[in-house]
Amino acid sequence: MAHSSSFIVLCSWLLALGAYAANEGQGTKNQEQAPEVFRPVAGSFPPIEKAHTYQGELAFVDHANRRGSIRVQGPGIFRSTEPNPFTLLPYGMVRYRGAPAELRDIPLGTVLHITAFLPPDPKTSSVPVLPVDNRNRDANHRRGVGVFPAENHALLVEDEASYCQRMGLTWKLKEADFQDLQGTMTAALERKQGGEKPVEQKLNYDHATRFWRGRDCLTLTEVVAEGILPASGKKAMEGRSVLLGLTWKPTPGGVFLRYHISDVWLDASASERAAKVQAEAHKTFIRSRWVPGWVDSVEYGKFGRATVTVTLFGGIDPTLYADFQQGGQAYLNGAENTLKYTESGSAGPTQMAARGPIVEVRRYSGEIPTGCSGIQVRFETDLITEGIRPTKIVRMRPASWPDVHLPREEYINGNAGNLEERFPTPAIFPKY
Amino acid sequence: MEFKSEFFRSPPTPVALLPYGMVRYHGAPADLRDIPLGTILNIKAFLPPDPKNSSVVTTPNHWYPLPPENHAMLIEDEPSLCLREGKTWRLKEVDMKNDQGLVVATCESKDAAEAKAPEQKMTLDATTRFWRGRESLKLADLIAEGTWPASGKKSLGGQSVLLGLCWKPCPDGIFVRYHISDIWLDETSTQRAIQSQTEVHKSLIRSRWMPAFVDNVEYGKFGRAKVTVTLFGGMDPALYADFKKGGQTAINGAENTLKHAGGSYGPAHMASKGPILEVVKTSGAVPMGSSGVQVTMETDLIIEGIRPGRVVRIRASDWPNLYVPREEYIGDHPSVEDRFPSPALFPRY
Repeated sequence: MAHSSSFIVLCSWLLALGAYAANEGQGTKNQEQAPEVFRPVAGSFPPIEKAHTYQGELAFVDHANRRGSIRVQGPGIFRSTEPNPFTLLPYGMVRYRGAPAELRDIPLGTVLHITAFLPPDPKTSSVPVLPVDNRNRDANHRRGVGVFPAENHALLVEDEASYCQRMGLTWKLKEADFQDLQGTMTAALERKQGGEKPVEQKLNYDHATRFWRGRDCLTLTEVVAEGILPASGKKAMEGRSVLLGLTWKPTPGGVFLRYHISDVWLDASASERAAKVQAEAHKTFIRSRWVPGWVDSVEYGKFGRATVTVTLFGGIDPTLYADFQQGGQAYLNGAENTLKYTESGSAGPTQMAARGPIVEVRRYSGEIPTGCSGIQVRFETDLITEGIRPTKIVRMRPASWPDVHLPREEYINGNAGNLEERFPTPAIFPKY
Repeated sequence: MEFKSEFFRSPPTPVALLPYGMVRYHGAPADLRDIPLGTILNIKAFLPPDPKNSSVVTTPNHWYPLPPENHAMLIEDEPSLCLREGKTWRLKEVDMKNDQGLVVATCESKDAAEAKAPEQKMTLDATTRFWRGRESLKLADLIAEGTWPASGKKSLGGQSVLLGLCWKPCPDGIFVRYHISDIWLDETSTQRAIQSQTEVHKSLIRSRWMPAFVDNVEYGKFGRAKVTVTLFGGMDPALYADFKKGGQTAINGAENTLKHAGGSYGPAHMASKGPILEVVKTSGAVPMGSSGVQVTMETDLIIEGIRPGRVVRIRASDWPNLYVPREEYIGDHPSVEDRFPSPALFPRY
């Protein structure tokens, strides 16, 4: 009898647990009507069309763990919206000023466009896990719907200039109005190829705004002196086409949301120079940190030998991929989802890296998914380690790149590393 | 932190700004948010004023001799330090190889009487920005002009410049070698950088208000009081000049983090408002952190946040009435962590 009772209690408990698990984060009682819940899986690039996209202001960065917080733009009061934590997927790409970048390159306050997914594995998420339908929920307190999306694992993070270049968009300036140290620009974000008429938007500018023309960096005073913008009052801008860098600053007049212009690239020469400078910064960075990728397959040989096939992640300058040449030597080291090195600790990533010749460099035929470079590298090594298994994240470099040691916050300190180093928890993010 | 050991091994040491702590970037007033990650900073700091409420760790790391003086009075980047101390970098020689440059330079006092500075080696590459007049130049531009070698050594003749420094991993087992992020080649470009950063910071302070502490409160009747505050230092002089006798002002309570009290209705909502009775400039030496400017105002709403010794923020009458973002004020129902941030944010290595 006692056993029967225990069995019934256990079954009830399991039923209750099952019901809880089924409803966890769904926000709906009817499972049949629940939308498809898509999560990226290890070893496969998620289709970008299944991503959720949003934009907002970068408010916090934990660069070593490739995560931060963004104040997401919604229909409500922007300033009242608490920054929402996000993290980069291992193959997540950052673009700044139209070039590859890292989160560390982006100034706080920059307006970013985010393409993101639900956490691939909620148990090990380094940012808070939210109900899957949170983007459809009203955050109340006049913050509106969609400002705390559960899709906080980013595939693509890009600033306004990068977004416009990728989407073939350009800002057309319509009218400038300057009063009391503050300017208001009426502008429209239009397709370069034309199309339906876009909605005009108002943006702020002031004496902190930088104007780039060719290789000159101009102040507002100089642009005003040249007659491009008014010293005071209104001036028609006649649809001048520019690229804009956007940030957010508190706006007077009870305006829910108005972005601020941090940079104006007045011509193609100026924007190309900005992209070039950022591309160089990122090339130097990747040469010292190695190209991230994942292991597609391992063909095991004898005595620790193996032939390893790696897909290199995307979003990096093409000249870096070109450095992986068949017949050249390469190094491969294990990494975490944060792209921190797992092996070698303070002795530098080369010390414990698997090394050997590149047997083959293959380029994908057909469409390349976002996050992927479309390049597979096969190499042979006599030191196959636990970090180099199919679907595991690795970093790889050709032997011609410099052998350098990384700063302490960018590697896991071998056996002395604590759990938090390997699986950062969301504890770093403040709760408001 | 720079030790007499390998720089890359040093775990980053947490630092907090004192309420009157000042930040300088590109020779101008700044906020920590203005400084790119990786920038080399020079810090003047004290022990935590109250270890119980320290927002950074108070116990030293067991392995590295990290300084317990982690409450900063002054944080400044390399150009700011050089400008404050009257120093200049003199470029002696560059050696270019594979798009990487090794620069030999000395940081010298403009006062010729001082001892000869030791030579230092620093790296530069295609990411280094060169500023000349209003031009932002790349290394390739200078090579094309012939003022910089494409490869090999070239004497730079002791050219006087300002340098922006950062750190990058560097090969060959070198303990520490800084990287040149920016070179200001002339006085015009330096002044333009200062002006640009100054405008950024002026805009910030106009929206966040001037930090200060309360020197004195003369209590009147029915909540009235005369309040005297000392404005903190490190701002552009034009901002202090906006506080004028006879003008209207508003004071709001703040925490040591300079977060506004008063919640989501904006700092002006609960602020104590009234006329400025007097603006006094201190004669004599002004201590670092102070502006040397005292403002006395009268209000009919004296509140708990405005007591002698407390940190406040004060706004000049013609500054815009703005709302600050959520992370910059204490909420209406704050957690203790909101008011007294703990060091839990910082990873332990």
